[in-house]
Amino acid sequence: MPWGLHTKDTPGNGRIMIVDDEENVRKVLRLALTKASYDVVEAEHGGEGIKMIGSDDNALMMDVILCDIRMPKINGLEAIAFFQQQYPSVPIVVITGYPDQKMATDLLSRGVFDYLVKPVDKDKLLGTVKAAMEKRLALRHEA
Amino acid sequence: MKTSPATIRVVIWGAGKGGTALLELFTRSPEVQVVGIADSNPEAPGLRLARNLGIHTTTDGLALLAEDRADLIVDVTGDPAIRSALLQHKPDRAEILGGTSALLIWKLAQYEQDLRDQLIQSEKLASIGTLASGIAHEINNPLYAITGLAEHLQDETRLEVIQEFVGEIIAAGRRIAAIVQGLNAFARGTQEEEASDVNLNQTLDEAVKMARRAVVLDQVQVVTQFDSVPTVRGKANELLQVFVNLVTNAVQAMEGQGTLTLSTASTNGFVQATVRDSGPGIPRNNLGRIFDPFFTTKEQGKGTGLGLHIVRDIVSHYGGQVTVESTLGQGAAFTVRLPVSSQ
Repeated sequence: MPWGLHTKDTPGNGRIMIVDDEENVRKVLRLALTKASYDVVEAEHGGEGIKMIGSDDNALMMDVILCDIRMPKINGLEAIAFFQQQYPSVPIVVITGYPDQKMATDLLSRGVFDYLVKPVDKDKLLGTVKAAMEKRLALRHEA
Repeated sequence: MKTSPATIRVVIWGAGKGGTALLELFTRSPEVQVVGIADSNPEAPGLRLARNLGIHTTTDGLALLAEDRADLIVDVTGDPAIRSALLQHKPDRAEILGGTSALLIWKLAQYEQDLRDQLIQSEKLASIGTLASGIAHEINNPLYAITGLAEHLQDETRLEVIQEFVGEIIAAGRRIAAIVQGLNAFARGTQEEEASDVNLNQTLDEAVKMARRAVVLDQVQVVTQFDSVPTVRGKANELLQVFVNLVTNAVQAMEGQGTLTLSTASTNGFVQATVRDSGPGIPRNNLGRIFDPFFTTKEQGKGTGLGLHIVRDIVSHYGGQVTVESTLGQGAAFTVRLPVSSQ
């Protein structure tokens, strides 16, 4: 089971992977997260996210995944299913432009950590990521 | 047009608003054949429409009467001189419908026209409901760029960063404005819109852009095979609706994966535009019903069953035809044929 880099002893707050096809959106997320001392990795679509997290390079282990739903090539739903199966200890936060109650309920019941709708308030984003990171640390402890 | 003994052959006098409304109504009715339409003004709207529909037009109504092909002469001119000329010259067996009776028919035709406009409009609003998810997604992304970048600007002091972010905020705002504008144009009723010369290649391109909001096209390969075709006459927005409906259906049939082929060609005074998908095809026993109102194979809440009905209604309104070809397992192709604009 691959583990993220982050522990209580490592500098920074952990590594987040952003999966979103919109450059603008990635930029806003990156700005907020790097300012809050997270290490950020970006993927333009699900396929790239899968490739990145799966590459056998320890430097690319993720602690939390922020994932859009509607994307070209491999969409968010397919990518999330893959992440959950292969990396069950990495919390996934969905961040989408499409508020869909049914999809939100479905995803949450399938273990997605949270479902955020763009535009997201910065404090809400950081609060959610922080909570996801705590869950990640707790899951690592149990393992 | 096939005629049967039951067919009523009609000549219309007067091609202004009333005559045009009657012409539109009669041409949609299979039991009525309009053998000619007359008006002293060669540019009267009804004459233009009739020319597009391949119906005989004239500025000399008496010559039309002399041909003695009409069972019924509908006089909507309201002109007493024309009324007396008609009474004097009409063929024996032809009846005249004029005065208040013609007015009544005209009112009914207008009422029917209003109902039709309302039906088109409500179907369009329903399809905008389907578009809503795509619109939310399309707008919320740039909106997030705006609010997110602005949040960072609150404590940013470096001028070059401020300038860069402001530039991106403006671009994102313009993107939203363009989306809203496109949507507004589509949602607008077409009652006030004037018919114009429309290039179907452009209409198809626009339809794909619009349909992108209703359905995810990312995994659909869009192939265009456009000939340089002459224009057709019609309301641009109605024709756009025809192809938005066809493209949306095609992508839904393929469940978002496959090849969408859009092609145009011109043949014998008609422009032909085909929307072809590589989906599962349409079962033979559904082929005869797909244009019927409220016929739908989509799950409840996903379709109104009016889309293809409206497509056929709009196309036949402009003197055209829509046909479908499908083989199970090999997709379906909808072809719209519309008459070339008259010069």
